[in-house]
Amino acid sequence: MINLINAEFKKIFFLKSSRIYLLILIVLSLILGLIFSLTTNVTQGRAITELSPMDVLSANMLGVDLANIMLIVFTAISIAKEFSTKLINISLVITPDRKKFFFARLITYFLLSLVISIILVILSYLASQLILTANNIPVLSLKDNKVRQFISGVMIMPAFYTIITVAAVLLFNSGAGAITFSLAIMALPALIKMFSSSIQRVLLPVFPQSAIHSLAGVVKKGSAEAMGITAGVFVLLAWIIICSILANLKFQNQDI
Amino acid sequence: MIEIKNLTKVFRDKIAVDDLSLVIRPGVVTGFLGPNGAGKTTTMKMILGLTKPTRGEVRIDGQSYKDLKNPLTRIGALIDGDAVNPAYTAKQHLELIATASGISLERVEEILKKTGLEKARDKAIGEFSLGMKQRLGIAAALIGDPQTVILDEPFNGLDVNGIQWLRNLTRELAERGKAVLVSSRLMSEIQAIAERIIVLARGKLIADMTIEEMANKSLSTYVKVRSENNRQLKSLLEREGALVQSAGKEGLHVHKFDMEKIGVMAKENNIAIYELTRVQPTLEELFVELTEGKADYVSRVES
Repeated sequence: MINLINAEFKKIFFLKSSRIYLLILIVLSLILGLIFSLTTNVTQGRAITELSPMDVLSANMLGVDLANIMLIVFTAISIAKEFSTKLINISLVITPDRKKFFFARLITYFLLSLVISIILVILSYLASQLILTANNIPVLSLKDNKVRQFISGVMIMPAFYTIITVAAVLLFNSGAGAITFSLAIMALPALIKMFSSSIQRVLLPVFPQSAIHSLAGVVKKGSAEAMGITAGVFVLLAWIIICSILANLKFQNQDI
Repeated sequence: MIEIKNLTKVFRDKIAVDDLSLVIRPGVVTGFLGPNGAGKTTTMKMILGLTKPTRGEVRIDGQSYKDLKNPLTRIGALIDGDAVNPAYTAKQHLELIATASGISLERVEEILKKTGLEKARDKAIGEFSLGMKQRLGIAAALIGDPQTVILDEPFNGLDVNGIQWLRNLTRELAERGKAVLVSSRLMSEIQAIAERIIVLARGKLIADMTIEEMANKSLSTYVKVRSENNRQLKSLLEREGALVQSAGKEGLHVHKFDMEKIGVMAKENNIAIYELTRVQPTLEELFVELTEGKADYVSRVES
């Protein structure tokens, strides 16, 4: 399994285009976070000095949303390319155990997105501290439970959607299908919020966004998204397990 | 040793492989022939676990491919020379394979040298010619020093030097005790390297024998005889059960009858023999004879 994961990482980093894309992803996400936190006058109608330190941090962390979308696209295209170039023939001759191959790939992209997520969260946190210091606002402390919970919740998001995308490429047999699926899961809660609260209460907890928001501690009490940490973890795991099982079933029986 | 038992693959509207049973033995180059759509590639893909059989099984030394611990040390295959990411270099492509299979990176350098790709090691595969891609595919097949080598159309795009190299390589592999299965549309190449021939048509096994055995069974194989009394010799041979055709000035064409026997018979009857030649068809002619009316895709010349 370690050999396979190692080879999967090489597949990604041997390509100059992948290295550049991931670097741009980090830089753009950071810049976007900074733009959001420095333009609150326009976006929120409040000056930065009127914001709480947590608001500044969450504005900065919005860059991670962009990173999340870019990682979904990267994951889908990278995996789909292996099928379109027929390199999958060779990969499966090397590793005929398709379950093992699938999980090696899942772990690789999970680790990649987690590392990128950690880097981004650390840099965004440091940028927030700088902005807070520059505006004479008290800085945030990692000793604060709320801060830690928020950071952890943000960090989980890209890793979760990357795993879902890996499974979706195999499930739909298409990169475009996987991108659409992952983005649809992200975007649907916004649509559901247009319906009555009774519908929201039934549907919203099913979606990973509610679980991630609950894990990050950004859900207001009584909101349709609200659920405990345990329930949040359960929802995310359920998505991962169900998508992985379906993808695996499809992949196991697929003629290459 | 690869054992194929009752292997069948049915696609939605077509039986690609139909109840195929055969054994691929070590130490021999086996030619795998068949018209387009005969089921050669599907069979190879089923051996490698890329395509799931509808029925039947493939055992490699008693195990299925999926259960092999280090599959690249057991079977190395070139199924499609184009199955590469053109953005990688030759070295990177082979390094990926070596890393995933736990093969040392020194072996990558070794195999690049062996396949003549040493100078192109850092070149993007996208810039490779078809022949170079074939060499890379063969390098990937050989990287694990496997006991069985499967090559699907390996001569495609190879230049004269490449063809000679591949001929020697397959022979050398067989001499080292490896089982080598080669499919190709170039009959002359298969004739040059293969000892044994497997012919498929419409997914069915048509022949599994040596070229010699195939020629002996062929109606196109005959003995050309010219003698001082063709008429007398013809009737003598026919009495012994030979199938004899008069060929004018060429003398007689004697089918399914031993050349030595003809000589002895002529001697015993005091008939002087001017010519006694065994005429054997080429593999291409044998192939056409075997697969006549069994090809799915046949082009016709319009008059």
